[in-house]
Parts: sequence; structure tokens; C-alpha cells
Amino acid sequence: MEEQLIQEFVHRVSTDEKLCEELKNDPDGVIMREGFSPRVAQVVSRLVPHLAFDKPIDPSLNFWH
Amino acid sequence: MCEDRGSSVNPFAAHQQILRERLHFFLCTLHPAVYADVVRAFEDELKILHQVNQDIYTPQNIRSSGVWSLLPLLVAQHVAPEIDPTYASSVALAVESFVTAIDLLDDIEDEDHTEIVHELGTARVINTAAILFTLAQQALLSLSDIGIPPTTILRLLQTLQESSLVVSTGQHLDIVVENRPTHEFTGEECIEIAATKSGALLRLACLMGAQCAGASDELCAKYAEFGELLGIAAQLDNDCNDLYYLLYSQGWALSSEEIVRTSNMMKSDLVRGKKTLPIVLAAEEIAKTQGASTANMQDALQQAATLSDTENEAYMRAFREGIITAWGICLLYRERASERLQELEAQKPFTPLLHLLVGV
Repeated sequence: MEEQLIQEFVHRVSTDEKLCEELKNDPDGVIMREGFSPRVAQVVSRLVPHLAFDKPIDPSLNFWH
Repeated sequence: MCEDRGSSVNPFAAHQQILRERLHFFLCTLHPAVYADVVRAFEDELKILHQVNQDIYTPQNIRSSGVWSLLPLLVAQHVAPEIDPTYASSVALAVESFVTAIDLLDDIEDEDHTEIVHELGTARVINTAAILFTLAQQALLSLSDIGIPPTTILRLLQTLQESSLVVSTGQHLDIVVENRPTHEFTGEECIEIAATKSGALLRLACLMGAQCAGASDELCAKYAEFGELLGIAAQLDNDCNDLYYLLYSQGWALSSEEIVRTSNMMKSDLVRGKKTLPIVLAAEEIAKTQGASTANMQDALQQAATLSDTENEAYMRAFREGIITAWGICLLYRERASERLQELEAQKPFTPLLHLLVGV
């Protein structure tokens, strides 16, 4: 399940400093090695700045609410 | 959802005008006392009578007026470009009235201190919601006056009723689960609730547009699925941002009074015990690392002030992880919506206006 894959990956990066460092230096390499589907890889690549560099999440789209 | 940041002209002005004219046709029969409150409801943010600065149109205020009726109208015109605007706008306004009613009830049920509740009071807001539900049905029944076949009208009414049941059930579940411990809740359940709330509303908007334009069952199903995925993504985005700004903008260690004050300003789901995805994922992590007894999120916030830096850090890490994971799942649903969109566009590319509206 793709949701589960994302949850597990975020948890691993949050708790494994080595993996976090690797993601900072070579995000494409890490994503490729994980063997994600193109859809999950697309999502994970959007998460990298937040996971590895503590970038705040984007402001709410605030569209339909 | 729209990425265009340079627009200075409202591209939806003509469609909004059609919708407003048709809306006034429906409203003119109302008693003056009722009329004022119903108009006030349609003036809320995102609704069709919401007033924006006419001189400066940013993507934010372009989207601020009538998105819930613009979507079915633009979908209908996309599927059947020659569709009678009176017909399509009546169906679109049925959706707008329905969503406005649901939003009012949501404000009351969640005890949100919104401007309209403050202005009209609970009793009038509830009654206005009841009138809006009736208006939604009236807008569809009025189609017989312009020669729409009864079978089509019945089908549209059926879609509205089915959606009403789904949304009301979703809202009911959302209230019932407030008292369940957060750590017993699963991410799947959160997404199911999101699907029955924003997911069901956007599903309705897309489906009604396609149905009134005479789309095939297969095409209607695709539009419905596209809307649902987009709605789930929007709900998760909203939940993530609510929690993010509660934790990071308002400060971490809040007193209970501060939590209540903050919630008054920003509808904090955290305070009411709402089981949104980022909260549930954070609770799951806290339950694993700190023990289930501390997994009540409101308690967690209040306890944080008395915890050591190390313990506090553990809570912060759990919340951060919950927010990023939930936001990742939000992006996943946007990707899925984007794929459905590509399937729809394989048959016929969306107009730039429809693209701008859905933002995918």
C-alpha cells in the first residue's frame, strides 16, 4: 500500500541520521535504491526538502475549505 | 491549487455573473428576513456572493467566489459546450446551496466561532442551513420549467440525496469518534472520514456537472473519482496546515486557555479531539515511544510545558513526522487525481479555465 510506504519511509528518515544525511546528499540515489513506484517516488522527492532540510510544509492550498 | 500567480483579471467573472443572476432568481421568492440570512451565508469565504477586491485578483481571491458552483458549471460546459447556461447554472447552484448548508452545520457541530455564527446566532444558522438544503432541491426541481426531462431531474436529485447521506454520515462519524482514544484510531479510518467529507463534496460537484451534461455512466464515474481524490487531498492538506500552524506559529507549549483561544481563531481539530490524519499518525508514534497512556493529543500539548527538553523533543518529533507523513499522503492523492485527470483529458483536454479551477 502506497500510504504505508510513505509512512515507513518518513519514519526511517526521521529516526535514522545516516539515512537522513544520505537523503540530503543524494536524494535521487536514495529514492532509486528504495525501488518506489513512479507515483511514490514523485511524492517522496517533494518531501525531501522537509525531511532532510527541515523546510516548513507549504502553506495551505486553502482552496475547497 | 492554482499555480498562476501573475493574473490581474478575474478569469471566472463571466461565469460568476451567470451564477449570481441565477441565484438571485431563486432567492427572490424568499421572505425578506430569511433572504438576508441566506444571502449572508452565500457571502462567506469561497461562496458565490463573497466579495473580493475587484481591482487585485490573486490566485487566492480568484478562487474565493463560488468555487463550489463554478466546478459543476465548468465541468458541464466542458462535457457539453452547447449546454443551456440556465440549466447548468441551476444544477451548479444546487451544489453551492448544498455545500453552504453543510458548512453551516459543520460550524455548529464543531462549535467553531465563525463570523456567521457570531452574527446570526446558532438557531438562525441552523434554520438557514435547512433553507439552503431546500433551495438545493428547488434549484433541481425548477429544471422542469425549462424543459429538462423528469428522468434527468430525478437522477440529479438522487445523486444529491445519495451524497447528502454520505456527507452526513461522515460528519456523524467524525463527531462520534471524538471520544475514542487517538492512538486506537488508524490512518485508514482518517482517510475514510476525509473521503466522506471533502471527498464526497468534490465528488458531488464533479459528478453533477457531468451528469447534467449528459455524460455516459463511465465518464460520470471518472469525474466522480477525480473529484473524490481531489477532495481527500484538500482535506488532508487542510488538516496538516491546521496542525502545523498550531504547533509552529502559535508556539508549542500552550496552556489550556491558550489552546481554546487558538482554536477559536483557527478551528483547531486538535482541541476537539478530531481524528485527523496528522494527529493520529503522531499519536501512533507517541504511543510507541512514550506509552499509550500519553497518547491523548490534548493532554500531550498540555503536558509538554512540564516535560524535560528531551521528552518535549520526542513529542515534537512525533508531531513533525505525523505532519510530513500526512502531507505526503495528501500529495499521493493529488498524484492519483492528476492521473484520473490525464485519463479524462485523453478523451478531451480540459479548457484552461477548468485547469485553473482544479489546479491539477
